Amino acid sequence: MVAPALLFAGVMIVFPFGYAVWLSLCDVALGQPPRLNGGANYARLAGDADFWNGLRLTLWLYAISLVAQLVIGTWLGLLLARTRRARGIVRTILVSPFMLPPVVIGMMAIVILDPSFGIANWLLAQMGLPPRLWLSDPDTVILTVAAIDTWQWTPFVALIVMGGYLSLPGEVFEAAEVDGARGWQRFRRLTLPLLGPTLVTAAVLRSVDLLRFFDVIYITTQGGPGTASTTLNILAYRRGFEFFDIGYASAIMVTLSALVFGSVLVFARLRRAVTW
Amino acid sequence: MVGRRLGRAADAVALGAVLLVLVVPVAWVVLSAFKTRTEVAALPPRLFFTPTLENFVELFGRSDFLDYSWNSFVVAGGSTVLGLLLGVPAAFAMAWHRMTWPATATLFARMAPGTLFLLPWLVMFTAVGLTGTRTVLVLTHAVITLPVAIWVLLPYLEAVPRELVESAQIDGARAHQVLLRVVLPVIVPGVVVAAILAFVFSWNYFLFALVLSGVESKTAIVASFNFVGEGVTNWGALMAAAVVIAAPPLILTLLIQRRLVGGLAAGAVKG
Repeated sequence: MVAPALLFAGVMIVFPFGYAVWLSLCDVALGQPPRLNGGANYARLAGDADFWNGLRLTLWLYAISLVAQLVIGTWLGLLLARTRRARGIVRTILVSPFMLPPVVIGMMAIVILDPSFGIANWLLAQMGLPPRLWLSDPDTVILTVAAIDTWQWTPFVALIVMGGYLSLPGEVFEAAEVDGARGWQRFRRLTLPLLGPTLVTAAVLRSVDLLRFFDVIYITTQGGPGTASTTLNILAYRRGFEFFDIGYASAIMVTLSALVFGSVLVFARLRRAVTW
Repeated sequence: MVGRRLGRAADAVALGAVLLVLVVPVAWVVLSAFKTRTEVAALPPRLFFTPTLENFVELFGRSDFLDYSWNSFVVAGGSTVLGLLLGVPAAFAMAWHRMTWPATATLFARMAPGTLFLLPWLVMFTAVGLTGTRTVLVLTHAVITLPVAIWVLLPYLEAVPRELVESAQIDGARAHQVLLRVVLPVIVPGVVVAAILAFVFSWNYFLFALVLSGVESKTAIVASFNFVGEGVTNWGALMAAAVVIAAPPLILTLLIQRRLVGGLAAGAVKG
């Protein structure tokens, strides 16, 4: 009964993956069969400033978004658990951002963050603040993208945290109450350690998406201005489908895949360490 | 107890602020879709206006947006059906034999960057002459829907009592009969969750259709992105397109809200 699924996975996933790895080891020119070139594409990575720029942007976007989403998500998740409010319309509002198509998120960002006609800069002006070039300032475009992703996915983290918290045994917290543990101390010594596995789960899910983040960046900036938001996945896409530098683009994609799988393995270890 | 009451008030205010931050951008898009060309870019923003359908009329009248929406529907529907046809029996066998490796293997597809598969697919589909068809999109989107189907269904299938299956086997039922007549009726709620999630994921998915769709098979998602790229200055029409493509996932997820987060996180807990 597994056979049809395995056959499909073999043709559509395993073979293409192997083929991509092979392409990454080849010189590929249009009209000629690919020729193995002894890892030259990977050697080229090491000397390519765009690659290092992409790696730096990928990790920077990953780190700030992940930290922001885990911190705010934990706060919001515990708030939801406390107020028991994640029902009905509140749940609908929380769920909507991460169920919206990324294209809609991108269009929303373009219209709201438009430097002259967007409502974001108008609001800043009302507060007496100078306008910002949200998506076209090379120094801050990654922060803007991180903020968009944080807007979209923090509710998801919060709902996971809420679920994790509500499934914890209530007696532990009652015992802590008797012992006089309150506020920050209770959070730091009790709630946070107990939420460890839940937080690792949320972190894995966000890591996979953040490291290979593509849609919203490509829709809002196409990697620009210049290369200021050209993360590895955007770089690989542009090299592959705009410049048809196929062997080299494949090498970037394989490297990025290794980064994603590596991060998942690290979190799998971490989960074992924090499981009580 | 004044402190506690203050704490509750602070919680309510904080929650209200969060909800506002989440709602305002979405509400802004929806309002803009119903504004006239001049109202949509007006600052200070007009909160009170006479809603108009002219943006939707323009969207469906001047472009082939209806065709693109139909393509999206066919691709999402087709890949959901394919994902379930492959995934239900596979998940059943995995749960029954307590196999975990195929499930772990499908996670691989969920983690790998989509760009990785695109070049090989392009070569493969060109070789069999399928590029630019909806078939290609159904097949590639099934790479997304299959792991969703398997991972969402596994817990439902593991909860089916083994005696139920065993007694059917003693009565001489074959494997596919057991699945269709005995197991499937019990796991209908799981199949509904899996189908809705798979449909939404496929509907929303951008990258594969961006590269692999042709003029005829373009999805509404890619068509909307092209509007942005062409520098469409009529924001009203742009926002109308956003409303049209956002509606199906939002309406569908309303039906399964309670199980949504569990379904999305499926796989991450064990994997």
